[in-house]
Amino acid sequence: MDTLVAQYSRPAYQQNNALAEEEQQDLLDGVPGASNLSLKFAMPPVAHPSAWLRAVSDDRSNPSCPIKIAHGTTTLAFRFQGGIIVATDSRATAGNWIASQTVKKVIEINSDLLGTMAGGAADCQYWLAWLGMQCRLHELRHKRRISVAAASKILANLVYQYKGMGLSMGTMCAGVTKEEGPALYYIDSDGTRLAGNLFCVGSGQTFAYGVLDAEYRYDLTTEEALELGSRSILAATHRDAYSGGFINLYHVKESGWEKHGFSDTNPIFWKTKLEKGEFSNVTSSFSERV
Amino acid sequence: MSRRYDSRTTIFSPEGRLYQVEYALEAISHAGTAIGILAKDGIVLAAERKVTSKLLEQDTSAEKLYILNDNMICAVAGMTADANILINHARSVAQQYLLTYNEDIPCEQLVRRLCDLKQGYTQRGGLRPFGVSFIYAGWDPQRQFQLYLSNPSGNYGGWKATSAGANNASAQSLLKQDYKEDCTLKEACGMAVKVLSKTMDSTKLSSEKLEFATVGQTKDGKIYHKLWSADEITALLKEHDLAKDENAEEK
Amino acid sequence: MEVLLGITGKDFTLIAASKAAMRGATILKASDDKTRQLNKHTLMAFSGEAGDTVQFAEYIQANAQLYSMRNETDLSPSALANFVRGELAHSLRSRKPYNVNLLLGGVDPITHKPSLYWLDYLAALAPLPYAAHGYAQYYCLSILDKHHHPDITLGQGIKLLTLCTDELKRRLPVDFKGMTVKAVTKDGIVDIEFDDDKVVKSA
Repeated sequence: MDTLVAQYSRPAYQQNNALAEEEQQDLLDGVPGASNLSLKFAMPPVAHPSAWLRAVSDDRSNPSCPIKIAHGTTTLAFRFQGGIIVATDSRATAGNWIASQTVKKVIEINSDLLGTMAGGAADCQYWLAWLGMQCRLHELRHKRRISVAAASKILANLVYQYKGMGLSMGTMCAGVTKEEGPALYYIDSDGTRLAGNLFCVGSGQTFAYGVLDAEYRYDLTTEEALELGSRSILAATHRDAYSGGFINLYHVKESGWEKHGFSDTNPIFWKTKLEKGEFSNVTSSFSERV
Repeated sequence: MSRRYDSRTTIFSPEGRLYQVEYALEAISHAGTAIGILAKDGIVLAAERKVTSKLLEQDTSAEKLYILNDNMICAVAGMTADANILINHARSVAQQYLLTYNEDIPCEQLVRRLCDLKQGYTQRGGLRPFGVSFIYAGWDPQRQFQLYLSNPSGNYGGWKATSAGANNASAQSLLKQDYKEDCTLKEACGMAVKVLSKTMDSTKLSSEKLEFATVGQTKDGKIYHKLWSADEITALLKEHDLAKDENAEEK
Repeated sequence: MEVLLGITGKDFTLIAASKAAMRGATILKASDDKTRQLNKHTLMAFSGEAGDTVQFAEYIQANAQLYSMRNETDLSPSALANFVRGELAHSLRSRKPYNVNLLLGGVDPITHKPSLYWLDYLAALAPLPYAAHGYAQYYCLSILDKHHHPDITLGQGIKLLTLCTDELKRRLPVDFKGMTVKAVTKDGIVDIEFDDDKVVKSA
């Protein structure tokens, strides 16, 4: 038990020695270790890894930094009478460079739980996959599905261990369980974990909030909710340079999540503009003299 | 000690007149006639070109009608050299206004800026007044088509039809007789050639002795100004049966 | 955290500015009017560096009025916007530039067309159907992208403005003490009664 306590009380980066030993111990004790699986992380061989990471990857303070971390996103999720809507864009940017237009920012943790990706793409992908593993282990150990509250807390505790070391993630966990009903949590790499009805995360969050807040009600019908989620992402892809590509849309119900398409924003934008007369600031003709 | 002469200002005579200004006006009354007529859909300016010698190179460029701006043209009566200074000034003022406000200078403002300059030369030391009268034709959104006349004193006024230069008194009375409110630009052009045919010395006119320009509006509402080519002037003269007989010229 | 908003419609331009005058962590005044009338049918709203804002706005106002007196005609909103841009661009290249962001709303006295101009402190000028400055841009432009149409009535315009200010009350971390709202129409500039006391609940 002492070793267990020591594990939790020591920062994770000091624990990268006896890997095999701990794996063995885990098997023997059957201890659900949230931290031990993270120990496989090799730290950069420098004195202060977090300061070093900041120096080489913070392109806001140093635009010519050698490592451009993929950032910039719009993701949203909200609770309503029919479950939870989760929607994201699909653009990955590294500095001014659009690295990809077809990123899957909704991570299917398991058939009931969804996670969203904002911030460092690698961090999110890695830790949400890891979270999926923890959830499966929980199921195997306890013979029942993990609650959304517990799953989100595992992630929150994990990222808190790495606080100040350069992790960059803003994620939402969404799921519907018998006990909790539709449950939605926001977790970020500062260690914040919040339950709520409605969250937008990423560089385009404010634009999505604008559209979403204006027409959000808990008693939205499923169709209205899906349309509002998709329209909010469209709004963000229109105004935020770091968001774009495709709209990835999900509906989470008690029976599990349902995918509602991965749709190109470009035709949707023009359809919205021409058929509904929205986006009136965009002219299809060249503007005349000011 | 030459400053004694140079700094002498234009001063009033004991009778209360400014002789320098009056001499300038006198100089203009020997220059070729210029007239302007305001129609409901445009303005026509016409001027008599004095051909001084057969040996003179008759280039096609206008010497009495000038474009000041996208929305304004003018006719000159008087000393061309003086006029060039004023026209340069007017063009600069118009461009400066365009640069500041990104829209064309209203017609009266441009006229006034020129007249401010002209007035300055009747009062400041060591200078003589400009020996030029201008007839301005222009358009702006507030007052639509406008016609102005200014003289060396710096006075200006808006007109429906006006004239400057030689025989301008008789031209003026002819215009007064013939002018119809609500006439079209085409009718105004006809009136202009008729008046000039009567005030000019030669009985038969030719495109060499005349300059024509119009300001008008296209069907889609855009304002245009046009300095006429010799052929267009000849066509107009023929239409009103005022063209010089070409056979007669060969004799 | 100053808020400037502008919306054009069929026959009007709405200009709204937050009422709070803030210095550091203090709200000095909760009924500040961050607008100046330039002539009968042009209104300018401003935000930015304390001191610069009012100085610059009143300098522009004086020049607009001088023009009106000299020429017995008002400058059009478009001409004024370009004039302001020129003055700002000139100041930007001086030893101590004005640090001011502006919205200029007007109705053309001849054509009666409403117009709105967006200018930032770097003297960029853009004519727009709706515009905002500061953080309000991030929250309100997406709302206006969705809900604005060029032919809305004044009533619809005010409703649209309420949609925007509600969102700001919901999401902005600082209380901006409500909005002064004015409408420019062909008959001049009118103050609009605007409900600032409404409490907006978050989702």
